[in-house]
Amino acid sequence: MSTAKLSGAQIVIEQLVRHGATTVFGYPGGSVLPIYDALYQNADRIKHIITAHEQGAAHAADGYARVSGKVGVVIATSGPGATNLVTGIANAYLDSVPLVAITGNAPVPLLGRDAFQEVDIVGITQPIVKHNFVVRDISDLESTFAEAFAIADSGRKGPVLVDIPKNIQEAMCEYGGKIADAPAPREIVEVTDNAIDAAITAIMNAKRPFIYAGGGVIAAEACTLLQTFAELISAPVGFSLMGLTALPHSHPLALGMCGMHGKYAATVAKSECDVMIALGVRFSDRATGNIEIYKQNKTIVHVDIDMAELAKNVAPNIEICGDVKSVLQRMIPQLSAVRNQDWVDRIAELKSKCGELNQVGEFTPQRVIETVGDKLGGDAVIATDVGQHQMWTMQYYPFKAPRTFLTSGGLGTMGYGMGAAIGGCVANGRKRTILFTGDGSFGMNLNELVTAVSQNLPLVIIIVNNGVLGMVRQWQKRFYEQRYSQTTLNRKTDFVALAEAFGAKGFRAENIVELNSILKHLPSEGPVVIDCHVCMDEEVLPMIPPGKAVDDMITTKFDMEVAN
Amino acid sequence: METVSSAYTVELLVANRYGALNRITGIYARRGYNIDSLNMITDNPDVYRIIISSKGDEYARTQVVRQLSKLYDIKEVKLV
Ligand SMILES: Cc1ncc(C[n+]2csc(CCOP(=O)(O)OP(=O)(O)O)c2C)c(N)n1
Ligand SMILES: [Mg+2]
Repeated sequence: MSTAKLSGAQIVIEQLVRHGATTVFGYPGGSVLPIYDALYQNADRIKHIITAHEQGAAHAADGYARVSGKVGVVIATSGPGATNLVTGIANAYLDSVPLVAITGNAPVPLLGRDAFQEVDIVGITQPIVKHNFVVRDISDLESTFAEAFAIADSGRKGPVLVDIPKNIQEAMCEYGGKIADAPAPREIVEVTDNAIDAAITAIMNAKRPFIYAGGGVIAAEACTLLQTFAELISAPVGFSLMGLTALPHSHPLALGMCGMHGKYAATVAKSECDVMIALGVRFSDRATGNIEIYKQNKTIVHVDIDMAELAKNVAPNIEICGDVKSVLQRMIPQLSAVRNQDWVDRIAELKSKCGELNQVGEFTPQRVIETVGDKLGGDAVIATDVGQHQMWTMQYYPFKAPRTFLTSGGLGTMGYGMGAAIGGCVANGRKRTILFTGDGSFGMNLNELVTAVSQNLPLVIIIVNNGVLGMVRQWQKRFYEQRYSQTTLNRKTDFVALAEAFGAKGFRAENIVELNSILKHLPSEGPVVIDCHVCMDEEVLPMIPPGKAVDDMITTKFDMEVAN
Repeated sequence: METVSSAYTVELLVANRYGALNRITGIYARRGYNIDSLNMITDNPDVYRIIISSKGDEYARTQVVRQLSKLYDIKEVKLV
């Protein structure tokens, strides 16, 4: 490539385009004026979407990345702009979402002097990024971007922050002459034949094999291979929250999520298996409960691309460090079809029991989610916020394809949903996108309605409005003798009027008939808010109390337990 | 797995970049592992050699090594 002198801000644009980042999210300010000026002049090459708040922009970039499989990009100014990104960056870190966050900062000579809107964002974000950079020398800018994208998108994916002081954005430098590509980040992937052989022997000798599939399966684009693998060895599949859409909900071997609020069949089958093949999961405490009991009587084969995950939470019997796709590609040809009829029958029995537990009544949150799934289903992208409504979406929504479920797993970020739905919708060709949110969570980032309206995005925002911080209330009910400290909201917000005030459409549903009729007559354009008034006392069941095990699983509603 | 705590030393090759030491000590601090001694050999201006002694059981040692290996600035991690 020929060399030309460009400003730092122009180099940022060129590097974004070179890395395929043609849609970015962000918010301008004093320290990123040069970058925003360059964006203005390159509006035909990069689409920038301004949100209401930098947190929303970070979640939008995260949602965009989860749906598109590309690296999401967010831009913010220094100081408060940068600190407003922190939750979004942490969220992406915990869910292994590839993100490049670009922040402005005070000019290099002022750094460290508490200049106006100066914060040490590199120091602040250090524990929640894969890596971060301050670009103090314009000649490093080009290579830094190449490295940032390479790090975010390789190995176990995650966020990278690039802090660019304002004078660096203004400085001039030759571009494209020196360093074309990033040095590939060092990966520690060493799949040994020994480990693969040991895994194959364990799998072929298993009486009750079980596959535990996580976000790593989706990140590695290994969903089809997972299906082949599961069918070949007749193993039921349970998922982590991040892995939920690795197989269609309707697949006979898919049992749903395992763990604290997982599906009954998934959690029980997992506890009864003799060989667990864990693919791209990290055994979070919410997924395992008591680890000693969790590990009992089984051989665990753990496959993960991140060496540090192997034996971090659960010590596996066989550990394979590698990308799920390449590991499955090596294993499958060496396996032969097996089927243990007793185990197949046992799974069928557990699944029918699962059905019984799930009988739901009238205008319950579960029914709202099922109804929306029925009526709007298809392959829409679904986002959630955090709380009971999130767990019910995980349990009841008929997901069909990977990359259609945007939910905050590791960080459990209330307020994630609006931004994620916006980014997911944009990444999915601006097709209809559904957000299941709670009245509490929606209150955290409902300001992003402005973005949905200005972008005219067809979001269907379902507020599962129980009037309470339902998930916290559920714990207070169970573990704090029904002392509902600060979880009854009493807000009296008129969400229909609120939606209209923002320029969106608003509806209210008090029963299933009303909901059905609203869904039937949805406008084809622009965001719609549907405020569904549901009862406050539904519980997410089953539930395994924290630190407990499968035998402690609660399956009966508290009110019924009290009545009996 | 052996759970007795004993002294161990890691030797790192680290790119000389802003904040690298911070990232390294952060790995120890987050898990509550104390650093007993830290030595930095800077003969080569591009790549520093850092030697850290700490105490921990086999789990702690493995975790420290694996987490350190993930740091982008670190070129090599050895348990010595
Ligand atoms: C930012 C943030 N603050 C607090 C919490 C703790 N928290 C988890 S779930 C929950 C309640 C959520 O209420 P709502 O959005 O109404 O959902 P519901 O459980 O009622 O469906 C709270 C407060 C959190 N996860 N995130
Ligand atoms: Mg609520």
